[in-house]
Amino acid sequence: MVIDDALRARIESEMRSFPEPRGALLGALHRVQEELGCVSSEAARELSEIFAVFPVEVLELVRFYNFFSEEPRGRHQVTVCTNLPCALVGANDLLCGIEGHLGIAVGETTPDGRIHLGREECLGACANGPMMRIGGDYHEDLDLAAACAVLDALE
Amino acid sequence: MAGPVGEAEAGSVRIRVDGVEYPVREDLTLLQALDGLGLLNVPEGVEIPHYCWHPHLAIDGSCRLCQVELTRPGDEQARLAIACDAKVCEGLVVDTKSEAVARAREGVMELLLANHPLDCPICDQAGECRLQDHAFDYGVAASRMREPRRAARKRVDLGPTVALDQERCILCRRCVRFCREVTGTGELGVVERGDRSAIETFPGQALDNPYSMNVADICPVGALTTKDFRFKARVWSLDEVDGICTACARGCNVSIGVARGRVQRYVARRNDAVNGSWICDEGRLSYQQIDAPDRLSSCLARDETGELCPVSLDEAVREAARRLRPLLDERGPGVVAGVASGHASNEDVRAFKTFLDVLDVDTIGLALREGAADELLVSAEKAANAAGARAVGFGPIEGLLERLRGGGLDALLVLGHDLLEGDVESPALDAAELEGLDTVIVFDTHRSPLERVAHLVFPVRHAAEKEGSYTNLDGVVQRPSRAVRPAPGVRDERDFLDRIGVALGLAGYGMDRTA
Ligand code: SF4
Ligand code: SF4
Ligand code: FES
Repeated sequence: MVIDDALRARIESEMRSFPEPRGALLGALHRVQEELGCVSSEAARELSEIFAVFPVEVLELVRFYNFFSEEPRGRHQVTVCTNLPCALVGANDLLCGIEGHLGIAVGETTPDGRIHLGREECLGACANGPMMRIGGDYHEDLDLAAACAVLDALE
Repeated sequence: MAGPVGEAEAGSVRIRVDGVEYPVREDLTLLQALDGLGLLNVPEGVEIPHYCWHPHLAIDGSCRLCQVELTRPGDEQARLAIACDAKVCEGLVVDTKSEAVARAREGVMELLLANHPLDCPICDQAGECRLQDHAFDYGVAASRMREPRRAARKRVDLGPTVALDQERCILCRRCVRFCREVTGTGELGVVERGDRSAIETFPGQALDNPYSMNVADICPVGALTTKDFRFKARVWSLDEVDGICTACARGCNVSIGVARGRVQRYVARRNDAVNGSWICDEGRLSYQQIDAPDRLSSCLARDETGELCPVSLDEAVREAARRLRPLLDERGPGVVAGVASGHASNEDVRAFKTFLDVLDVDTIGLALREGAADELLVSAEKAANAAGARAVGFGPIEGLLERLRGGGLDALLVLGHDLLEGDVESPALDAAELEGLDTVIVFDTHRSPLERVAHLVFPVRHAAEKEGSYTNLDGVVQRPSRAVRPAPGVRDERDFLDRIGVALGLAGYGMDRTA
């Protein structure tokens, strides 16, 4: 069991506030990601049992959304939006620059486990691109120097 | 169209499709209604191409290929809508041939082909591929894509029976719905997003259920292929013959694929009264028995040393009469018994019953192998024509066995060898129990332990090799076509019985048959 009793109780109480219990599945995935650092296949299987869905239905959500990962990632999740509005103002160059600065490629974690770098779909900050998200924080109107300064300040 | 038995008849409405009016049930979608009328995509019918819709799966609406123009009463202008999810209504007007429909189809095809690999020369589906067909009929020849096509995994091992080529998949989700709705096993899902979307299984879980290979039948492209048929033959070199599976009493309809005179595969053939669109994996692979190495190909009789050896048809028939005649004359028909098999066709069990009646043999029974059943199709009786054998008068085997064990029998005529198998757990009979008999005559497709005690063996045809009818567990009588030629010397039971009847000089056999 990777989902302990306390977490399970929270998930089950959220299920009760939805007319369709499986409406709480996305929220449950967020809880699991936050508390366990990832949605491992054990966790996904346990969720599928709690929600009485097929395990692959949980996997469909985990792999659809960027918020979830199947293995633990670095301490900081850094994602750069590369959808069209950001791409038009240089998001792909920014991402390349960040890759160079950190010495890792998109999808990888720095060897010290500090930063995991990812690509992001639109976060609704189109007017202030390019942008990146670190955990719950948005960093907007970035150029490479500004982005690197933010990254270097992360512990 | 009549609804399934027991279902209240829904009201009927009139719709007009390409200028022709049809009455249809009001609770249906347009594709269901046309399918129910037997008009969908048949010559002289209504052509609406589609990928994701399947008559026996829930509506998905994901491929968008089935778009047509609809005008409902009160609409000012026609609008494009997907036919698979459009409910019919009184006065609905449908146009499947307009300029707008053609453009919509072309657009869908262009998007589907944008990332499709140019694999046709090495793809098993080529020749029966709906992507190929529709691209040809509705697509544009040239690609406007300048970007490289998406690269994905070309040989994903989904489980013991099926392989997946992710590049070829068009994400119609038929396979996903099949596993969730039909088998309830839910192994498959679509992961990722956009052009990275792909069919996947949960880590460590395989596509593994008793009906798994149906996903290859319903995959409209070459993304899912059965490992059994992969790279075995090009489909355009196959002759497809309408047959049935004979592995259990359901009698599922199959298309028998024949190449070079041999059966290469069974695929499910739709029959809503028998098997819907599905067949079980065991039945699908049962075609392998047709050419199995243990098929009997010649009459066999005991030589001076007691060995079972090939003999000619005439010798075998003469030997049968030579053995039966004195028994019948001296000890009477009471010492003879007849065991029918659920594998023999209606015509053959009837001929067998007539033969026994003429001999006055009344110790008869039906030997049947039983096994596991399931809730979908598989029946416990592992033969295609048990109902047919019962209908001509072959009942339970117990009385016959009792008589045999009580020493009251000297001769046995046996169709098939299910006598030895009975219930898989507790066989009806051990071959050793037949050892004391004067005469055991066997009519069978395959070798079996009955050979140990048989004095004569006649090689008979598999259902795919003959003309005949079979009655399934619900009483549906089916007449599959002959798909392949049997080996020379392999004949119908009724043919052998006729000859033996003549050799015995029985009334009604041979020349005086017409009398
Ligand atoms: S594998 Fe075939 S059936 Fe499954 S989604 Fe892809 S195209 Fe459809
Ligand atoms: S259910 Fe019976 S008849 Fe149908 S495919 Fe399976 S074995 Fe054959
Ligand atoms: S068949 Fe209608 S959308 Fe696919």
